[in-house]
Amino acid sequence: MSEDIAKLKEAIIEGDAEKVTQYAEAALEAGVSPLVALEKGVSEGAKHVGEQFERMEIFLTNLMLSGEAMMAALDVILPKMPKEEVPVAGRVVVGTVRGDIHEIGKNILKAMLVANGFAVTDLGCDVATSRFVEEAEKIDADIIAISALMTSTLGGQKDVIDYLQETGKRDRFIVMVGGGPTNQEWADEIGADGFAETAPEAVREAIRLIEERKG
Amino acid sequence: MLNILEITRRSLEGKPCLEKDYDLRIFAPRVQELVKEYDVTYDPNIVISSDDGLADSVFKAAFDLIVEIGVFNKDTERVISFTEKEVRDSINTSFDHALLGEGMEQRTLLPRKPESKEKPWIFAGAGGVTVSSENVFMKLVQNYAELIPIANAITTPCLANVGDMSIRAKSPLEIEGSIRTVVLGREALRRAGRPGLPIMNAIGTAESAIALASGLHPDFGLRKTDGYMIAQLAELKTDFDLLNRAALLQSLNVPIAGIHGPIYGGFAGGAEGTAITSTAFHIMAIMTLGASWTLCFPIHLKYTSSSTPELIWVASQYLQAVSRNTQVPALYYNYTAAGPCTEMVLYEFAAEFIGGISSGGSIETGGVARGKYTDYLTPIEPMFASEVAYASAGITRDDANEIVKRIIPRFADRVGDPPRGKTFQECCDPVTGRPSKECYEIYERVKQEVADLGVRFLY
Repeated sequence: MSEDIAKLKEAIIEGDAEKVTQYAEAALEAGVSPLVALEKGVSEGAKHVGEQFERMEIFLTNLMLSGEAMMAALDVILPKMPKEEVPVAGRVVVGTVRGDIHEIGKNILKAMLVANGFAVTDLGCDVATSRFVEEAEKIDADIIAISALMTSTLGGQKDVIDYLQETGKRDRFIVMVGGGPTNQEWADEIGADGFAETAPEAVREAIRLIEERKG
Repeated sequence: MLNILEITRRSLEGKPCLEKDYDLRIFAPRVQELVKEYDVTYDPNIVISSDDGLADSVFKAAFDLIVEIGVFNKDTERVISFTEKEVRDSINTSFDHALLGEGMEQRTLLPRKPESKEKPWIFAGAGGVTVSSENVFMKLVQNYAELIPIANAITTPCLANVGDMSIRAKSPLEIEGSIRTVVLGREALRRAGRPGLPIMNAIGTAESAIALASGLHPDFGLRKTDGYMIAQLAELKTDFDLLNRAALLQSLNVPIAGIHGPIYGGFAGGAEGTAITSTAFHIMAIMTLGASWTLCFPIHLKYTSSSTPELIWVASQYLQAVSRNTQVPALYYNYTAAGPCTEMVLYEFAAEFIGGISSGGSIETGGVARGKYTDYLTPIEPMFASEVAYASAGITRDDANEIVKRIIPRFADRVGDPPRGKTFQECCDPVTGRPSKECYEIYERVKQEVADLGVRFLY
């Protein structure tokens, strides 16, 4: 049992989706419980990758390939688990604001969130204000994470918060902002709940904000 | 250089490819294979290498990369491909200069070589950092022109606001902001007594092609001898909004720059892959834009600045590779971690530009405090950076390596948590825009330190 889990974890770290599928199936067939496969194989592998990335021992490509491998593992494991038993750190909608086509920073955040057990819906770049809210409602998100890379597109972050307030939905979601020109002053000014300079910091902030909300 | 319509044809008819596949399964692995095939290795003990063979290997790897994987068009999700002959012929027949400025300020931007005694092109100013008001904009540009007599061209700030409204991309605010940037920049240079100086980041405030086109009308004061930048997207990507600018600017017959910011730690991987990617971007600019100059700003994924030893090596290798193997002038632009009115920001500029100039480049003075904060800029930083760059012409790469290695320890441990510095309003006289005594004292102190390391300042 431990050998299958070790191989699964290693394949997650290597970012090899094919091997991950193979080892996840083997582990389940060998009688490993889906929860153990998830926690000891997938989550531990993903955590290791996230830590390596934060120390810059690996780079973005490895992080994203591991993210893909993790999704492949979940495709095998989750159907075998009752929905209520699936541990999820939180549900997050991420995207880059309308008029902004930059998404590398957002992609890093997505990969780091996935590596830390969040369920992430990625809306891509140049996302309409209303779509952030519609998708957040659709997946019952905890967090809406809004990226902007240009000073002239920062206003798109405020638009989402204004839209939430105007429609009476502001209290339903935690709103986090990030991207090149954003800073804490800006986050405070527009009434965002959280801000982070880097993706690893954003993950820690997301965990903190969710725990805070849960009380 | 291929005709822009041919680039468009290949954008529309090239091999379909998902962007994610281009990033993860085509670009990233091929870069790492080329690092191995050409034995490109970063040695932390040699941040400025004098190994010509290494520089040429970086160039060959970049050449292969462009030929083998092409350029990705995000709008069509297709690859713009080139044959080896097309790339070779385009490099051999590319532009080799750009005529910039008017009257007494007219100069020719030329390519340099590693260790060349030819003075670098000094493109000085704000590096596109945002300012909160037209008053700050005017004061800064006027002071750049007055305090930096060796400046060959000016890089203006970007306006964050029009009146009491924040500029919003793709709105009439962006159009108005772009026009004001041009009008104000030209007027500030006239007030400084240097009306012929070219503005080389025209139009800094324009994020979209339509805003660029709006500001180009002759009524607003831009000239054919100003500089026109077109961004290239990380890594080796473009889109139709960017190619539209090339179509317009080529028809206007103005000097076009391809500008690019490869990401250390991103899809290019570490230092070696980032050096190859930076060089490939230079070739991409020749192929897709008909560039007559290029500007590269490699950036650290974690720190969003460029003064770490790995990135100083990347810039050096890139500049050596392109200056030894192409005839298109290459400029280097940096992002300091520290902000204005600190010693650290000046150390960062010194380390990066001594390395860059000895490696065959020219410079645009970079964005301070990572270009992140509105009004965090003064004339002191580009003034110091310009003087260091000018004084670095003729320094050998071996000497540069020794000097840079002695400067790096003075700031390296603070790159992750740098001092933010002070704003223009805190540092400069509100009427004249002149920097404060405190700023000058820091400048004099660090300049003396750099001089003591062997850099001979002109003044």
